[in-house]
Amino acid sequence: MAPQPLDKVVEFILSPHIFAPLIYPGLLAAMLVLLTLIWAERKMTAKVQLRYGPLYVLKPLGGIIQLIADAIKFMFQEPILPRKADKWVFVLAPVTMMAFTIIPFAFIPAAPGFVGVDLEYSLPLVLSLSALVPPLILATSWAANNKFTLLGGVREAFMMVAYETSLFIAAFAIATYYGTLSLSKIVEAQTVPGIVLNPIAAAIFFVAMLMTASKLPYDIVEGEQEIVAGPFTEYSGILYMLVMGASYMELYVLSLVFVELFLGGWKPVIPALASIHPAFQGIALFIKAYLVLLFAVFLRSVYARYRLDQALEIGWKKLFPLSLISVVWSLILLVITGGA
Amino acid sequence: MTSPGSSELRGNPYFWYRLMGRDEEGYDVYELFIGPQHPASGHMRIIVRLDGDIIVDAEPDIGYVHRTMEKLAEGREYLKNIPLFERATIIDAANITWGYVRAVEQLLGLEAPPRAEYLRTLLAEINRIASHLYGFGIAGIMLNHSTMFMWAFGDREVWVQLAEDLTGARLTHSYIIPGGVRRNLPQDFKEKALKAIRYMEKRLQDYERIFVKNPVIIARYVDVGVIKAEEAKRLGIVGPNLRAAGVRYDARIAEEYGAYPELDFEIPTREEGDAMARLLVRIEEIKQSMSMIKQILDKIPDGPIFHEKYYRMLPPKLKEFVEQTGRLKLPGAFIRLKPEPGEAVARVEMGHGEVFYHIVSDGGIKPYRVRIVTPAFRNVVLYRYLTRGARFMDLPAIYGSIDYFPPEGDR
Repeated sequence: MAPQPLDKVVEFILSPHIFAPLIYPGLLAAMLVLLTLIWAERKMTAKVQLRYGPLYVLKPLGGIIQLIADAIKFMFQEPILPRKADKWVFVLAPVTMMAFTIIPFAFIPAAPGFVGVDLEYSLPLVLSLSALVPPLILATSWAANNKFTLLGGVREAFMMVAYETSLFIAAFAIATYYGTLSLSKIVEAQTVPGIVLNPIAAAIFFVAMLMTASKLPYDIVEGEQEIVAGPFTEYSGILYMLVMGASYMELYVLSLVFVELFLGGWKPVIPALASIHPAFQGIALFIKAYLVLLFAVFLRSVYARYRLDQALEIGWKKLFPLSLISVVWSLILLVITGGA
Repeated sequence: MTSPGSSELRGNPYFWYRLMGRDEEGYDVYELFIGPQHPASGHMRIIVRLDGDIIVDAEPDIGYVHRTMEKLAEGREYLKNIPLFERATIIDAANITWGYVRAVEQLLGLEAPPRAEYLRTLLAEINRIASHLYGFGIAGIMLNHSTMFMWAFGDREVWVQLAEDLTGARLTHSYIIPGGVRRNLPQDFKEKALKAIRYMEKRLQDYERIFVKNPVIIARYVDVGVIKAEEAKRLGIVGPNLRAAGVRYDARIAEEYGAYPELDFEIPTREEGDAMARLLVRIEEIKQSMSMIKQILDKIPDGPIFHEKYYRMLPPKLKEFVEQTGRLKLPGAFIRLKPEPGEAVARVEMGHGEVFYHIVSDGGIKPYRVRIVTPAFRNVVLYRYLTRGARFMDLPAIYGSIDYFPPEGDR
């Protein structure tokens, strides 16, 4: 019997090239993360602060679909274009920003042998793609043509150079030990989690991750108490949803990378889930990444915001030298153990 | 091409023309209008001039919640002014009206009975704690520490409830009136107050762990917004802001009003004069207030809560009601209080600092003139002096640390 056209479509969707970026661990899973993570963040913070948090949208489940309600609200809200804004950049930058946070999913392996596009250099590629977001934030801040957005943009520019360097060096420190820049090979090579081998690199990567997504204590770019919402001051409606979502997406991408580099990736594999789809046997990756995300957003209820110059000082005077030390440590390990 | 900076920037006029201005001293500055409807500030505006990340000048532009209280007071009878002045500092209603009542009592030649003075002091200290917690919460959210904000505001509820038990109202108590207070102490009040104190002592330790000793807060607060004793005296700063600069001045000691002379308490001071010192002085004041509440509840004398001269005027049935319920009924003549012509001044220590009243009476049933100098109004000058040369991100830290309350400053 000849294959039906519908089967073709299903096969096409289930092929790694489409499934990885669009369904899991890509867009659809990311949306799920976005919706539940922001809810969980608000719920955890509320617990610490002796409040209820989101409650009334689907009350029996503690308001878990609050974010869907919010999203609907944003969808139907009028997106206001400031008269003096550079309209093309103003509209296109958030869209492009979202795109750059989704593209990396094509290169992040989700299970043994399951990756959208298998590249030898997936680690630098994923990091570089997510490094394209800050310049776009800068573009939005300039395009909005507002004093507060410009200050936010300047802060983003300062922060960007402070954390990107350390983030890259920390990632390469652990890659040096494994002798490969391919994420799937790094995961395969990990018998002992990377965090045990090179805790300095793990800590730096995590802190730089917080800076990237501007989460407390480094939510300097959006400093709501001084500059309203930083670069995103003028956004409303669906465009605001995109810029707000992009920072969470970036955090999700980086926490997937963090888990693959330092927490053993998709191990332990659960072969039973392969019958649903081969990607799901690496579900441990998703769970670990989610836990990392929960920890990252929980910091909100513990810390206040650092000052810009203090954050830069941490970036340049602490993270940067430490990241160099982590490279040296990897090399020493390499010499002692003879490599993974 | 009318901008002063335009000749040098002619090459690129469109952008720079609008963004760059020049202040009187010739600085190239980036002028930022923060407020009056800004997420972080109350209804006030701060005009900030920035040179890079450094604040060249921050000008507090107040008056957005000015309600002409002094003028309104000229059209109301003496008693009716109490609920009016409460609304200047609704979070510290007992203290701000106490100053007014003391001035009116001077004009009338009245003195409240000792039990009433103790009850006034009790409510004043409860209000002081609530006021400090309010400031605490604002200081927290200014640094985006939402946990401190929620905790302080949640725990303030304990004291607001206690004030409600005592007076019947959460915020606008109108409790302190010329000649006494309006309610007697409820029977179970002592237990409730001691429970609240025990709870607060525990919570202060929690605050210490999450806020005071938090490395981020230390980084943000230590050596930020420093004011030294001499400068603070010259500018006429009052309240915890002054005491954090090392000046031991407190109207409770200077005036010896209420039950304060009979209570054993300390005036906490610190030498550093930075934002952290202001925070720590407030915490210490909360502890002192709690110790004072304990002493008041132990020492409070029996007796009337209202001056005999006016209590006599009540009809026997109402007297009986007052005896039974402890809730005072005012005699009809009380609304037409008619002090002798003359002037009176009084000051009391609020949570934010010293409030000063000057009342002029022309012998009528309404005051001829009431002048209020509120602590927030005297402290607002700090915006200008503390922020100069600071980093832009220090502005919210300084704002939070000086505990400015716009409605009080604007009256």
